[in-house]
Amino acid sequence: MARSNEVNLNECKMVVPLNTWVLISNFKLAYNLLRRPDGTFNRHLAEFLDRKVPANANPVDGVFSFDVLIDRGTSLLSRIYRPATAEEPQPNVAELEKPVTAEVVPVIIFFHGGSFAHSSANSAIYDTLCRRLVGLCKAVVLSVNYRRAPENRYPCAYDDGWTALKWVNSRPWLQSQKDSKVHIYLAGDSSGGNIVHHVALRAMESGTHVLGNILLNPMFGGQERTESEQRLDGKYFVTLRDRDWYWRAYLPEGEDRDHHACNPFGPNGRSLEGIKFPKSLVVVAGLDLIQDWQLAYVEGLKKADQEVKLLYMEQATIGFYLLPNNNHFHTVMDEISKFVGSDC
Amino acid sequence: MVLYDSATLAGSSSGSSSSSSSKPPPLQPEQRQDIDGHLAGAGYKVRSSELRKVAQRLERLETAMVNSPADLSQLASDTIHYNPSDLASWVDSLLSEFPLTPTCPAEFVTDPVTNQTVVNDAWTTTETNMLLVPQNVSYEQQNLNNQLTVVTAMEEDSGIRLVHMLMTCAECVQCGDFSLATSFLEDMQGLLTRVNTVCGIGKVAGHFIDALSRRIFQGIGGGSINGGSAYENEILYHHFYEACPYLKFAHFTANQAILEAFDGHDCVHVVDFNLMHGLQWPALIQALALRPGGPPLLRLTGIGPPSPDGRDSLREVGLRLAELARSVNVRFAFRGVAASRLEDVKPWMLQVNPKESVAVNSIMQLHRLLGSDPNRNAPIETVLNWIRSLNPKIMTVVEQEANHNQPGFLYRFTEALHYYSTMFDSLEACTVQPNKALAEIYIQREITNVVSCEGSARVERHEPLAKWRIRLTGAGFRPLHLGSNAYKQASMLLTLFSAEGYSVEENDGYLTLGWHSRPLIAASAWQAVSDAPSEFPVPDTHRLS
Repeated sequence: MARSNEVNLNECKMVVPLNTWVLISNFKLAYNLLRRPDGTFNRHLAEFLDRKVPANANPVDGVFSFDVLIDRGTSLLSRIYRPATAEEPQPNVAELEKPVTAEVVPVIIFFHGGSFAHSSANSAIYDTLCRRLVGLCKAVVLSVNYRRAPENRYPCAYDDGWTALKWVNSRPWLQSQKDSKVHIYLAGDSSGGNIVHHVALRAMESGTHVLGNILLNPMFGGQERTESEQRLDGKYFVTLRDRDWYWRAYLPEGEDRDHHACNPFGPNGRSLEGIKFPKSLVVVAGLDLIQDWQLAYVEGLKKADQEVKLLYMEQATIGFYLLPNNNHFHTVMDEISKFVGSDC
Repeated sequence: MVLYDSATLAGSSSGSSSSSSSKPPPLQPEQRQDIDGHLAGAGYKVRSSELRKVAQRLERLETAMVNSPADLSQLASDTIHYNPSDLASWVDSLLSEFPLTPTCPAEFVTDPVTNQTVVNDAWTTTETNMLLVPQNVSYEQQNLNNQLTVVTAMEEDSGIRLVHMLMTCAECVQCGDFSLATSFLEDMQGLLTRVNTVCGIGKVAGHFIDALSRRIFQGIGGGSINGGSAYENEILYHHFYEACPYLKFAHFTANQAILEAFDGHDCVHVVDFNLMHGLQWPALIQALALRPGGPPLLRLTGIGPPSPDGRDSLREVGLRLAELARSVNVRFAFRGVAASRLEDVKPWMLQVNPKESVAVNSIMQLHRLLGSDPNRNAPIETVLNWIRSLNPKIMTVVEQEANHNQPGFLYRFTEALHYYSTMFDSLEACTVQPNKALAEIYIQREITNVVSCEGSARVERHEPLAKWRIRLTGAGFRPLHLGSNAYKQASMLLTLFSAEGYSVEENDGYLTLGWHSRPLIAASAWQAVSDAPSEFPVPDTHRLS
């Protein structure tokens, strides 16, 4: 085992910048300490180690943020990010929910990653990412602090996503001037990407219009062991063992990875043929061991005649979008901007 | 293991001595610029010049973890973690938990040309190939931004109008336009009838309207509010203690830190700046009783206001605690120091014996010492000086995490509105009466003091921990990090409350407890920097009783 680790560590080091390697390796090792073999999770230590940042109603680099309580019953918090306008350098509490003024304002509902168990809306890495999305897409971003596994299994995360979507859709102050409707996009990375798909499904079923889905390295899986999983197991920060642990923690007890939450186009999935699903932008990292499942997802959408664009970043590892220090990052950000900007 | 908080020491006295060579030297200002900007944005402080070293340590840690037969999750639980932002130290502290691992073979290779063993530095080749975008986010910039934090979304239209009016009225008060302010007061009373005053903005707005009225019509001398008897205050405090977790958090966290500081000491002395009913101490006494190696001799000195009616309430509390200590076989001695104001206490009254380890415990007391008169030396300086002269092993400080001491009235009013809305919101989670109602009165008194008093009458001069850090390090104290043990205690305390919504956060070694994402109370621990003999020698005339 030590021998293959040598090789793994060396390859890994060659493809990411040093500070990215340090960041992701730190997460990897810290997360190893938090998962217990019996399926429980050291939540206290996880929260202690997670680097968080408070909301900031004073604009920083043109973006300000504030937290809202969307659902009292489940303590569902979300953090809202808005672009600062020139006139109000320091918004006071009554102005935070001032109506958006442009003809079209995209509202991106963002679901952070963490394999359903880690991170929060106020984790530093995700606060940074959401702030970027505001400037990039001239959008309002709402980052959902969904309930996490293993304390809260399927379908809690999807329920929270759906609650947030309904809330956003019913805010008059988020309506674009052009048609007095809220222009909603769903976005997420890792488990967040998975949540995007399932929340979009619910939206569709209830006739709520979602303009587009953005899935960054979305977390999907299945019972079968695919070629990419075997080839890349342990090579680039992620192991099959940890993937299995997180699915066991999220899926209902006794279910396997062909459950439709994990494998939406698998044996227990549902076909989207004949259904008006939002257009999708799916980003797949070429060094992500679950890419076969992500590519199968794209295929599933195509087979159902749904609009989907695949961005396959060959030399990218997980988390490449967290630090703006590589080419993949900039490519993906450009594509996201185009994707959101194309509805006017 | 206790780590320096090097960032806050930079700029203050250089060359602070450290007795242990394992502590990193304090970062000088130039060195702080070397922090990797991208990692800083992710919440980690790593010097660019140390990136490679940290990476190698991470590799070594991974090897150690892979090769370790131990259950990693058990190891993680048993280890106490400190200051996760300081990645280098965190990795090192974890590494020290594993037996010495042979150096990872991948690190050293034989250079084929010179035939020497060199460090295999895979990054040297890749750095030139990677696109490195210049870093434009500095950690300092993010830290120094003023932060105005808001939590609850107000859905009712009337609620928003009420807030608007409150702010406008406060602005009138600041400008001295009392007649306009009065007409706003009337409008607001009217609006109140249309807003739900049982919870949310309606409830807290009522208290702020009252406080504004008081200020306008009764002046800023405080009057009857500040005249509440000590007995009344104790009752209200007790109900506030029961109704929500803030005071319990303060006690638990401080006790954990004190327990750790007293490790290995046989004669210990706790000085409590505000004894009240001594609610904090049974837990510490019991923890000391269960200490491996046996309990120390514990002295407790409790400071509190004098009792008016001939009772000696301090002594009564002391007797109850002594009884408890006796029942768990802890040698215990109590002394009460009666003083109506903390600044009236002189160090000799505490009778500290130079041989004992001292813990100074201040739960929401220090802010009362921040005088408003810029021409006088604020009592805080005097008090901090004599605390320092006691050379305490630890000073635990818990304060409201709020900015209620700015001179501008409108700013203070706005801050208080946010802070107390959040706090009232969190009280909604408590359904037990009469705790909740009396706890609300307790909070209401604070609001009234912040809003309607000035000068010496205004004692609720809360300042955020960021300001306390500057003040305390300037006065010759250095922070002690509260670790993951204290964090875990605090988290576990919260799970005892059915209310979801409270959150504990760790930040740079201190802990905050808040409602949803707004911190409301901050706990920190300190030690006097021992670089010079104390300026106020403690009289060595008293022995332990």
